[in-house]
Amino acid sequence: MPARVDAGQRLHRLLAVLTWLARQGRAPVAELAERFGLSPDELIADLELAACCGLPPYTPDQLMEIMVDEQEVVANLGPELARPRRLTAAEGFALAAAARAIEAVPGADPDGSLARGLDKLEAVLGHRDRLRIDLGEPPHLAELRGAVESGAQVELGYYSVSSDEESLRVVDPLSVLALDGHWYLDGYCHRAGDRRRFRVDRVLSVRPTGKTVDGGVSDSSSEGSSAPRPGDVGEAAFVPGPDAVVARVAVDGEGLWLTDAVPTVGLESLPDGRTVVLLAVASPVWFDRLLLRLGPHAEVLGPPELVDAGRRAADRLLDRYRRSAAPVT
Amino acid sequence: MVDRLERLTDLVLVLLRDERPKPLREIAAEVPGYPAEGEARRQAFERDKRTLRDGGVEVTALPIEGREQVGYLIRPEDFYLPDLDLAPDEQAALNLAVAGVHLGDPSGRDALWRLGLPASAGVQPFADLTALPALPVLYDAVRRRAAVTFEYRGDPRHVAPALLRFRGGWWYLVGFDLEKQASRTFRVDRMDGPPTVGEPGSAVVPDDFDPSAALPEEPWRMGEEVAVPVDVLVDAGLAPLVVAEVGESTVHDRRPDGAVVVRLEVTNVARLRSWVLELGEHAEVLGPDDVRADMVSWLEATAATPVVR
Repeated sequence: MPARVDAGQRLHRLLAVLTWLARQGRAPVAELAERFGLSPDELIADLELAACCGLPPYTPDQLMEIMVDEQEVVANLGPELARPRRLTAAEGFALAAAARAIEAVPGADPDGSLARGLDKLEAVLGHRDRLRIDLGEPPHLAELRGAVESGAQVELGYYSVSSDEESLRVVDPLSVLALDGHWYLDGYCHRAGDRRRFRVDRVLSVRPTGKTVDGGVSDSSSEGSSAPRPGDVGEAAFVPGPDAVVARVAVDGEGLWLTDAVPTVGLESLPDGRTVVLLAVASPVWFDRLLLRLGPHAEVLGPPELVDAGRRAADRLLDRYRRSAAPVT
Repeated sequence: MVDRLERLTDLVLVLLRDERPKPLREIAAEVPGYPAEGEARRQAFERDKRTLRDGGVEVTALPIEGREQVGYLIRPEDFYLPDLDLAPDEQAALNLAVAGVHLGDPSGRDALWRLGLPASAGVQPFADLTALPALPVLYDAVRRRAAVTFEYRGDPRHVAPALLRFRGGWWYLVGFDLEKQASRTFRVDRMDGPPTVGEPGSAVVPDDFDPSAALPEEPWRMGEEVAVPVDVLVDAGLAPLVVAEVGESTVHDRRPDGAVVVRLEVTNVARLRSWVLELGEHAEVLGPDDVRADMVSWLEATAATPVVR
């Protein structure tokens, strides 16, 4: 049951129900209620109220003709109410963004229904091509989407940033989703014995094992665990684990992009104008690379075991540059 | 006692079905539930108008003859859309799109309701587009060609908006900066406070302005330096991932051990450096000499940062 809904929202919903009924003529009560997120009782109450509305002087022929019984609603509402209604700016945006996002997924709209629908919509709204959505297209995306749809178990070659290792993992794929600028595969990882989230752009290879996964099985095996843990720590959608260390990193103005780029636990100001960024570090490799990118614009203040991380990472990489001659190609 | 929902529904129908603006006295006579007279009735009506406007229903006030001087109506063009004539498969596709793409609020569902296409439940969302309150405002400005004004990193900006773009998890506004007379790209989440929108048609963009050229694809091309071809060696382990990212056409050399050399056209050496360093010890700038030297001096400076006192 929804909590208290104000009159404006109820009106919006009632008009939507009427528009639908004006188009359909009749609908089962249960189906109509479910479509609009109402209980059957709420739906019937709103419809009985609407049946009283109409044009003065409220003669029966002016009333909206709505008949409700236990099972079904039958309505004769005239063509006007069946017309689509104007969208607010937020609604127009939401609809166009959703459609553009789907269009950005390769193979998601094979017969072009969505593109045609969006074309008609944008023609009516009076604009075209003002919104572009790019969700990226890592190489194994289509294969993994296919595996989710067909329930095919796969063996993934996967590069993990946190361990800086390649590994093979047998995964029962559950879903593929785009989040914070990356594609992720959620699935049950047999190596970890739990649900894991994998970044699709770090998948090196996909090989079907030939087994088919019954959708419910892996789900129930992870019952109780909420969202999947990232297969990579320190990525987007990152939730600090219990073993994460909180590092204090002082950055100057040129290192402030850090606060946009990674999830931070907190911020403090220093008297010298620098900002102390608190971040959860679950993977030393990830932290090293972050410090390399920040370079001289960052200084790790603590904890003690991390204060040298950036210097050591830079030294190791410098070794590589010193070992190789500088071949000009 | 008339339910407020009933009063609102009646009000919409009465204001919509008559082409003549009606004074409040007449409206109150036709819509049951308003207080009898005077200030209380006026306040109740104003409150209803606000509720309708918040829900996207605009009540228009027009001057009329007679004592009350102002009459009200809902213009059909403010309430209805021309028929979209959507085929069943197109309706279904729009339904699935809204169900599958998460935008952080119910606007998408509301849109389908208004179009008479209530969504079916039970579709698993598969994309989450970061929701920002400024987006509908900017989208509206883009489509009305209205100039927008906002604070960006402490500076006021006056921009003719041309395109909203989602990429890499961020929303960008691409537009023509009317003060600087140049194309600019702004991260929407970095705007300070809500943008102010000017009159429709107030944003004039030069003919040769191409918004899709304004946001280069790769970070190392997001600069105005003279383009330099830079060779980056990537070790075998990460080579497939990198080639997938930068494209097969950039592969300049494949080594027997599986490593690749990619040749990138760089207009922003700092962004290239950051990108290479994300690959940790698995990548190395080979040349040209000055770009490689830039990387080495960056690493030397990093290695030499003072030890905490």
